[in-house]
Amino acid sequence: MENKKHTPPRLARRFLLTFLRHDLAEEVQGDLDEKFLSMLRKTTPARAKLQYWYQVLQYLRPFAIRKSTSSSNHYAMFRNYFKIGWRNLAKQKMYSFVKIGGFALGIAACLLIALFIRDELSYDQFYADGNRIYRVVEVYTDHGETERGVWMEAPFAAAVKTDYPEIEKAGRYNPVELFGAGSNQIRPDNGMDNTYEEGFVFADQEFLEILKVPMVYGNLAHCLDQPNSMVITKSKADKYFPGENPVGQLMVVNDDAKQPYKIGGVIEDFPANSQFDFHFIITMKEREFWQGESNYWGASNYPTYLLLRPGTDVKQLEKKLLRVTEKYLLPLWIEQGRSNAKQMAKDMQYELQPIANVHLRNAGIEDPVPSHGDIRFVWLFGVVAAFILIIACINFINLSTAKSANRAKEVGLRKTVGSFRSNIINQFLIESLLFSFLSFTLGLLLAWLFLPYFNVLASKSLSFPWNEWWLAPVMLGSCVLIGLLAGLYPSFYLSSFKPIQVLKGNVSRGSKNATTRSVLVVFQFTTSIILIISTFVIYRQVHYILTKDAGFDKEQVLLLQGTNTLGDKLKTLKDELLQLADVKSVSVSDYLPINGTKRNGNGFWLEGRNTIDKSIGGQFWQVDHDYVKTMGLRLAAGRDFSRDMASDSSAVIINQKMAKELGLTDPVGKRMMNWQVYTIIGVVEDFNFDSFRSDISPLVLKLGTSPKIVSVKLNAKDVTTTLASIETIWKRVVPHQAIRYSFLDERFNRMYDDVQRMGHIFTTFAVLAIIVACLGLFALSAFMIEQRGKEISIRLVLGASMENIFRLLTFNFVKLVLISIVIAAPVAWYMMDKWLQDFSYKTELSWDVFALGGVMAVVIALITISYQAIRAGLANPAASLRSE
Amino acid sequence: MIETRLGEFEEVILLLVGILGEEAYAFNIAEEFESQAGRPVSIGAVHSTLTRLEEKGFLTSQMGESTAERGGRRKRIYTITAYGRKTLSAARDFRIALWKQFPGFATSKLS
Repeated sequence: MENKKHTPPRLARRFLLTFLRHDLAEEVQGDLDEKFLSMLRKTTPARAKLQYWYQVLQYLRPFAIRKSTSSSNHYAMFRNYFKIGWRNLAKQKMYSFVKIGGFALGIAACLLIALFIRDELSYDQFYADGNRIYRVVEVYTDHGETERGVWMEAPFAAAVKTDYPEIEKAGRYNPVELFGAGSNQIRPDNGMDNTYEEGFVFADQEFLEILKVPMVYGNLAHCLDQPNSMVITKSKADKYFPGENPVGQLMVVNDDAKQPYKIGGVIEDFPANSQFDFHFIITMKEREFWQGESNYWGASNYPTYLLLRPGTDVKQLEKKLLRVTEKYLLPLWIEQGRSNAKQMAKDMQYELQPIANVHLRNAGIEDPVPSHGDIRFVWLFGVVAAFILIIACINFINLSTAKSANRAKEVGLRKTVGSFRSNIINQFLIESLLFSFLSFTLGLLLAWLFLPYFNVLASKSLSFPWNEWWLAPVMLGSCVLIGLLAGLYPSFYLSSFKPIQVLKGNVSRGSKNATTRSVLVVFQFTTSIILIISTFVIYRQVHYILTKDAGFDKEQVLLLQGTNTLGDKLKTLKDELLQLADVKSVSVSDYLPINGTKRNGNGFWLEGRNTIDKSIGGQFWQVDHDYVKTMGLRLAAGRDFSRDMASDSSAVIINQKMAKELGLTDPVGKRMMNWQVYTIIGVVEDFNFDSFRSDISPLVLKLGTSPKIVSVKLNAKDVTTTLASIETIWKRVVPHQAIRYSFLDERFNRMYDDVQRMGHIFTTFAVLAIIVACLGLFALSAFMIEQRGKEISIRLVLGASMENIFRLLTFNFVKLVLISIVIAAPVAWYMMDKWLQDFSYKTELSWDVFALGGVMAVVIALITISYQAIRAGLANPAASLRSE
Repeated sequence: MIETRLGEFEEVILLLVGILGEEAYAFNIAEEFESQAGRPVSIGAVHSTLTRLEEKGFLTSQMGESTAERGGRRKRIYTITAYGRKTLSAARDFRIALWKQFPGFATSKLS
């Protein structure tokens, strides 16, 4: 009987039994077996098995399928699990509140951070050919120090496009304020009143083509290809030409009616998550900012973007670009007589940065992009969010295992009645899912509620993606995942109880797993303490920067902006302002020691050394006679500019740094040069004119006109009335332009907005983490005290004082917090040391920050526990002893 | 007009139950159908029809004996009820009456 060896496929039979009505099982299985045997006789075993499968599937008919309610108790059991879970939740209100509330807080924090991260990662992802667009980065290695910048020479774009067939398009833009980009006054040519606008830039036709900006009016291929044409964004078109197509209209910039710009097209506004925030794009067609600029390789003012042909090997192209240096730059340097020209050419390289990386991966690259993110912060925030969630999960795990004694009897009874371990695990996982689901709902609600505040905090405009198709599945998925994760340990722990021991009553009353719980509490507090210390350090640094002597007097300096349109009236304005009693001095200069004002980098030498020495890079600022006085700069040597000295037109004042770089110990009276020779008449003390992140760089002040900003030093007790009189003067002198002013100290503080913002965000999340951790500690201590109720009562009866009890109950927890401090301090020190390295001027990481953080953690923990401890100490011992 | 309440497949299954007598259970009926009709049918389909016929009252069933081939499981034996017989013969009579009215086939062969 060799047929005996073959049996019907087991899986098929198993499957059959999953759906078949129980009363049909016997006859159907018999029939199918008989069929199988008869098939075996007729054909091969494989065919017989296939046939068996076919027959099984043919039983998927209504008459044969089991009705779910009639035959299974699974559903009933699930219902029971839910019911018991719900009753537990309702019975222990405090514990449930801690579990769900803590969880919900954690989830809300996570959601907000996830939205933030999503937004950060979404930058510049939307260009049609985004994966082929690259930004050129110039890498210059000088004595082992690498500098990266995006400023390219004017002819660079056209040259590489001709030389390298891989490059399909090359476009530049010029955001340099010196040339008129940035902010300007503008009006339609038939209007009278000027309006202040920001977002001016000069760009090539090809630049727009590379980005494939979506057009509202006009043709992308020809919108900037005429000289003096201009492209504006839709929001500006709606503002100046509401309801009409402005293509072909003329606009006048800075009251220069002789040279209006013709609108060649209207583009959609750049989205908020774009690295560009241009509104008025003026063509570079036939435009040179000085004679011969477009062929001059000695000045770099153009961020340049390339569109590569599909399939280009970027690394190869980067190598090939080295030839640009040899072909164009080296001859110029040799012609200029640079002795180290060959070495300079060797030290110069080009990198191509994908456009999508510009927002987040810009570390060390000097560029004009206004709002950069930082991939490190994105990661850091992600980690913080994850830790808060973990802290919340730990609460759940700790409380579940701690309260296990209360569920032990239930587990014992269930097992006795016939539950398998898997059933118990299922039960507790389902309970955990129930908690997770409630927490997610609450967390989602909280996140939605707090989103506006978070937006202010992070200076973003995030919104909840309710309408996205993926939201519901992702939420549900993470809800289930987190519920399972948090429930895994408790369910395995609880299901491991032996029914006999449990029912006999000698279950360890929740103290057996004290070690695991302690480790988890230490973890929670370590994380919280790290966050607290980081917050302290960040705040200290912010405070340090904002109160540090910047080297100039930023108090009571009013900046009147947009005065470049005034022309001859500027003198009138200045004179009239000086008439006011509260005005100490007035200076006209665009170069101010705050971000966002004009900068002009130049190379300097001592007189006659330009062909011998390497040039010293420094700022070259045009100021007036009153600048030093108005800004409160301190002269270290020499004198200020004087109206009485005609020779001052070729005199300069330098800062100490420049004196040091030039190697002059007594610079007054010495001569220095860039393309012209100057006499040094004075030295000012170094002052911070850039962010504290960088060192003070060399600076040269020279008399000249730069009429965009008028700085007014006030000495007013009542700034409001002074402001009113200044406004009256403005209206009289400049009737067609609204006054626009700001204060120097405000502008200065704004430079550190990002640091302050970071401080606020960190505080928020540190507070959140502490709250969640304390919630857990509160519940845990309540539980411990509950367990030791009788012990405490007996101690009290025997004469223990309130203080004894308090110490007894708090000591264990405080010990855990102390251990956390020991672990947290070095980690926090390491992290903060890294962060502070970003700043050239930084506060010290002193021990008191750590001490303060530690003391705070202990105090918070003590306060949390003491409520329960004191209550236990004050309780009437008779109440708890009488019951037995 | 007499409306028969038997479908074609139901009628055949009912007849097969009558033919097989004591051996009328789902597997056997399916095999018999296959050999007589020359086309395969799944046991599930036969079983489903048998259940329906039983619900309509044309069949009754009880569990029979078990055999080794069936792994010691019993089989369900179906028998035709009197109502089933009546319905069968009514269906046949109705057909014959219709055939007789069909001019091209009105021969004595069928009677």
